[in-house]
Amino acid sequence: MIQLLNVNKTYPSRDGDVVALKGVNLTIPDREIYGIIGLSGAGKSTLVRCINLLEKPTSGKVLIDGEDLTQVKPKRLREIRKQIGMIFQHFNLLEQRTVLDNVRFPLELTHTPRPEQKRRAEELLDLVGLSDKAGAYPSQLSGGQQQRVAIARALATEPKYLLCDEATSALDPNTTQSILQLLQKINRELGVTVVVITHELKVVESICTSVAVLDHSTVVEAGDMRTVFASPRSDIAKQLILPHLEPSALPRLRLVFDGASTDVPVISGLAKDTGVAVNILFADTKTIEGNTFGHMVIELPQDEADQAAVKTYLDDKGVRYEEDAV
Amino acid sequence: MSDLLRQLFTDGSIGTGLLETVYLTLISTAFAYLLGLPLGLLLYVTDRGGLKPCLPLNKTIGIVVNLLRSIPFVILMVAFLPVAKAIVGTSLGNKAMIVMLIVAAAPFVARMVESSAKEVKGGVIEAAKSMGASNMQILFKVILPEAKPALIVGAIITTVNVIGYSAMAGTIGGGGLGAIAITYGYQRFKDDVIWVCVALMVILVQVLQEVGMFVARRTDKRVRSGHRRKTVAEEPKPCFLNKTGSSQRR
Repeated sequence: MIQLLNVNKTYPSRDGDVVALKGVNLTIPDREIYGIIGLSGAGKSTLVRCINLLEKPTSGKVLIDGEDLTQVKPKRLREIRKQIGMIFQHFNLLEQRTVLDNVRFPLELTHTPRPEQKRRAEELLDLVGLSDKAGAYPSQLSGGQQQRVAIARALATEPKYLLCDEATSALDPNTTQSILQLLQKINRELGVTVVVITHELKVVESICTSVAVLDHSTVVEAGDMRTVFASPRSDIAKQLILPHLEPSALPRLRLVFDGASTDVPVISGLAKDTGVAVNILFADTKTIEGNTFGHMVIELPQDEADQAAVKTYLDDKGVRYEEDAV
Repeated sequence: MSDLLRQLFTDGSIGTGLLETVYLTLISTAFAYLLGLPLGLLLYVTDRGGLKPCLPLNKTIGIVVNLLRSIPFVILMVAFLPVAKAIVGTSLGNKAMIVMLIVAAAPFVARMVESSAKEVKGGVIEAAKSMGASNMQILFKVILPEAKPALIVGAIITTVNVIGYSAMAGTIGGGGLGAIAITYGYQRFKDDVIWVCVALMVILVQVLQEVGMFVARRTDKRVRSGHRRKTVAEEPKPCFLNKTGSSQRR
């Protein structure tokens, strides 16, 4: 388990201290895919670097399985870091080494016997689907392939945790999805706890089980992904999650599908059963294993009886909705 | 062709001179690296934001390096005669000259190494740290190998510089092409001797430059040269692995 307790980080500068993190408290349970989302400058990268102490917090505790990293000796810190893999936005592969040698690198650091290094590296390249690129150099690979190599490398020491710092931000949407699926596979098959830092809601939405929202150097909201998505409380979470629509005089409802409601076609059912026609202003839903996830914003008619009928219908069908959210 | 030049060719003086230049240059450059490489790495490591920042040490080395680099070689040669005597027992000839060349080249090498090391991206170092690498491991397994192409280019530039400096060996009784050009060509008014010596040095530098750059290009794996891509494509690919590879990609 990763725990940050009242972590502060300030950088001294000529014009006074710059606050990067302010009283951050965070608990990341094992085997989760934990998203940390925020706009740029919110302190995400500093936060993730505090987890493996690439950045030393100015104050506060960083507990990895109960051990406070801010207190351990450098040697012990390096040992613990081998339990925490990390991947980066710009991959950071060793450009003068082949793909295989990149994946071998962390094992070289631990003086693992060479045949073992090779065996493990080949295994990992197979896991990330790049066995055929073992002899290639990073400059010969696409961004997505480089990130796969980086993932394989990060997993070489069989870490318990994997930190992803904007790992998909330099990739196109298709590649992003395939990298996210790979992270999900690693989480499921190897039981690795994955911490995903991102500014993209899509990333968190598609794989994370829990999420923390970071704004102005502090955690403003954290919890189960579905809960936060269904009813974001903080301004920044609302801004990230809710669609941006033109204001109008008519009342609106935001319907949230969290997989719990049945997959009946709600809107057409609504029109048929109540005879009330509603306007769909926004919809972003997808079906995973027969369950619907996502949200939709509908505009209700002026008539209050009609509005009540719509709400009754939604209540009957067990569809969650929020009023005046958007 | 003057009789003197013909004589210098037939008695092997030119050949010996060429060999002496090569010998002076290689020995001096090698020793300059022995001193300059650790010094350059120390400059890199102790700098602000380095692996182990230590500004007082960094500034001290920096000042010494700058001082030595700013002294013109002709002056440095005279000034360091006593030093050469103390180290190799003589202030004359090739031995003393090697000391001067090392003193002149080592600070240059230090700066070259420092700037080559700085070319290694911070992100790569950060990645190595995140894997639990120690500073020594980062230095020898990340920075030096990643900076290799730049280091090779730096070595070529250093060697070419040393060739130039070695031409002054004649002034303290050393050998080499420079000495021949001065004593036979300049002082005895035989222009063709000068030009032959110059031509040989030009060829020496050219060969060194071309070979060095070729090696640097070959070692650098960042460049997508057409040649290398071909060799990778030629590598036999086990096709059953290919299948898993492509099925992973969308």
